[in-house]
Amino acid sequence: MARMVTLIVVVLMILQGIMIATSGCGIDGNESKAKELKSAEIREYQGVDLSSVDDFRENSIKGPQHVDAGSYRLKITGLVTNSKTYTYDEVIKNHQNYEKVVTLDCVEGWSVTILWKGLLVKDLLAEAKVLPDAKVVIFHAYDGYTTSLPVDYIMQNNILIAYMMNGVTLPPERGFPFQLVAESKWGYKWEKWVTQIELSDDVNYRGYWESRGYSNSADLNEDFFEK
Amino acid sequence: MRNILKQNLAKQVVHWLLLAVIVLYILTGFGITSYRAVEFLTFGLLTKPLAFKIHDDLIIPFVILIGLHIYQQARKPA
Repeated sequence: MARMVTLIVVVLMILQGIMIATSGCGIDGNESKAKELKSAEIREYQGVDLSSVDDFRENSIKGPQHVDAGSYRLKITGLVTNSKTYTYDEVIKNHQNYEKVVTLDCVEGWSVTILWKGLLVKDLLAEAKVLPDAKVVIFHAYDGYTTSLPVDYIMQNNILIAYMMNGVTLPPERGFPFQLVAESKWGYKWEKWVTQIELSDDVNYRGYWESRGYSNSADLNEDFFEK
Repeated sequence: MRNILKQNLAKQVVHWLLLAVIVLYILTGFGITSYRAVEFLTFGLLTKPLAFKIHDDLIIPFVILIGLHIYQQARKPA
């Protein structure tokens, strides 16, 4: 009996090793595309060593999403004066672009430092004219994932919604067309495949992981479990 | 004679507890890194947040049990 259990443990350990070897570096089924991106990727910016686009671990709720840029629309809805719908090009070309090096810290223990390029979420909100009652910004993703951040956090910080990382367009597995760069927050606030930004007065709103026990504030200097 | 029996029983208890903790450690590790598969295989019982909590909480029992296990193995029989 003891031998059998020991054998099971050994098999589990071998399985774990195989899974780490195959998925630990963030390489998924789209290997040929990842190789193309590597050649153009920036790995150092103003003296800061950058992580690679491939250094992320794939931990989304439904796997990588493939969004068609042609039919993609970004909606700004909820407690705003003017609800907006943008095409992919309109988001990028009609707004001031910014670059920033920000580190993503995942609750799983890994982190990546990336040069993000995108536009400010608060610029989009300014166009839609946020109503005074709005307290929370809810981000909806293509795969059904949601998360939320306080309006004050978005307005008082230069929070990007990025379309490029390390000088290359976000690959599908990294959140194409847009990923939220929620700096100073745990990784589950960095929503990928953003399709809708909703303004709400529901301060008790909980996103996908927040409704499963993760902290709603998600501040990096605090534990990510709700107290 | 009685002491030897007691020692053997204690060894057995520590041995099996350590094995259980190691198995749980590995399973909850999978529950974090491959949570979609583990949630499916456990019929939604072992969720990622639960796996995180169990995995974190196991560190102290693991250290104690491994310490006891080493002590028992290194010690001369009575």
